Amino acid sequence: MKPGRLIGKAILALAGFLAVFPLLWTALNALKNNVDIITRVPRLVFTPTWANIGYILGRDSVLTGLYNSIVACGSAVLIGVVLGLPAAYAVARYPNRWAGDIQFFVLSLRFLPPVAVAIPLMVIWLQIGLYDTLPALIVTYSLLTISVIMWLAIPAFQSVPKEIEEAAFVDGYGAYSVFWRIALPVAARSLAGAVAFSFVLVWNEFLIALMLSSSNAKTLPIVASELSQQGMNVPWGILNASVVLLSLPPLLFLGVLSGFLNSVFRQKKT
Amino acid sequence: MARRTSLPVTFVVPTIAILLVLSMVPTLYAIVIALQNRELSTPDYSWVWLSNFVDLFLDRRFLNAVWVSVKWEIVTVVATMVVAIGHGVLMFEVASPRLRNVYCLLFIIPVLLPRVSAAFVWKFAYHPLYGIATYPYRLLTGGLIFDPLSKPGTALFAVASVDVWQWGLFFAVIVLKLLETLPPQPIEAARLDHAKRWQIHAYVTLPMLKAPLISLMFVKMIESLRSFDLIYVMTRGGPGVATETLDMYAFSQGFIESGKVSYASAMAVLMMIATVITFTMLWKRVQA
Repeated sequence: MKPGRLIGKAILALAGFLAVFPLLWTALNALKNNVDIITRVPRLVFTPTWANIGYILGRDSVLTGLYNSIVACGSAVLIGVVLGLPAAYAVARYPNRWAGDIQFFVLSLRFLPPVAVAIPLMVIWLQIGLYDTLPALIVTYSLLTISVIMWLAIPAFQSVPKEIEEAAFVDGYGAYSVFWRIALPVAARSLAGAVAFSFVLVWNEFLIALMLSSSNAKTLPIVASELSQQGMNVPWGILNASVVLLSLPPLLFLGVLSGFLNSVFRQKKT
Repeated sequence: MARRTSLPVTFVVPTIAILLVLSMVPTLYAIVIALQNRELSTPDYSWVWLSNFVDLFLDRRFLNAVWVSVKWEIVTVVATMVVAIGHGVLMFEVASPRLRNVYCLLFIIPVLLPRVSAAFVWKFAYHPLYGIATYPYRLLTGGLIFDPLSKPGTALFAVASVDVWQWGLFFAVIVLKLLETLPPQPIEAARLDHAKRWQIHAYVTLPMLKAPLISLMFVKMIESLRSFDLIYVMTRGGPGVATETLDMYAFSQGFIESGKVSYASAMAVLMMIATVITFTMLWKRVQA
């Protein structure tokens, strides 16, 4: 084997290691007592403890944050699916002269700096008395989920072979039942990827949640970030445990999303 | 499929109407607030028109934040593209198909993490005394202390490294998939002409992928605007104002230090105008 190839393989192996090791180390630290974390030489061998994870799962603030995150993200994604998928289908299958403008408008929502949305919304929600409530957060997140789902679902619907839909029309299906019975099931795999992506996006969202909640509607990322500001003795183990809890849900979608990526590029090839 | 049906109208109009309301109301209201002098502490306000904007341009901390944001944008976008293309090409060249699949899975993990999690993971790792990333330095120097997050010269790069860790590796996967979609003939032809491996990529494959790579860079430029979570958790804009980007400064003006919502909103409006104009122009260019 040539030395160049060997170096290349070594660089890749190092990158692969760097991609996962920091997270694994955090997970390991979540199982350590503080004395095993605060060491100048990192310790690989230690007596594991469940105290950190137990503490995290026993705290009301964390459980409320978890509940808020699930409700806010779940509802926003549901709204995104209900409003985004049909619109994406219509843009993909019935293109008119505004189709390009609609696509650009949906993408341009991504250009808006989150602060520019969060500051006025905070004032608006304060004025109508919905500040620091889940409905306010859900409505705000829906802007994100609808636009992202639409943006990703348009190509997914376009890749459904037109012939299948034509055949269904010939068989007497109406436009709506073609959408329900043909387009949705055929594109289901790619659409699942788009929906999973939108979920990860709002689950990970921080700035808007930080500005729109003060106590009742805090989501998990906010609660986790606040744990670090408690007192002088940083509870490292507990912090690590909260990071692990926060990171698990998006990682559950790893399989779906990498499949989605593969299907996007397989379409381009053919 | 030019059939007469109500489907396009019933499917598109409600969604676009809702998106328009949800996006235009805050956008217009941001401009309204920016022209007033609202503060969080009192409900009273009056119209001050453009004086917030005049103040901004006399505010040295604001000008610093503009500069930090520009630096952040350049550093993260360039580093991400370099890491992505480098690793993508490497995977294409030296990894077997099975190994490629493993790497693709591993390289997607960082970008899925919440930014808050990624920021914490690396904040621990960069800890001068107990961090795993600073451990090799302590080991080699016999216990000297290196604190990348609290030095003005290195803090921005330390935070940027987390962003590149998340996006660079993810984009490497996309670059690999793009390379895999290329037809093999031009590569074969170059090989027959005795082109070296790196020459094939520099002069054949990457120029063939110019358009998708530019789109990729465009996506990264947009995502780099969302630096707030990383900076908020890792440095809070410090040391001093070394990592204080525009959204961080707007947040601290509006919420932490003085509650000057209008001042913060004026800043947000300027950011919005700058990004919308820049990206609209870039987008039209990418599409053309």
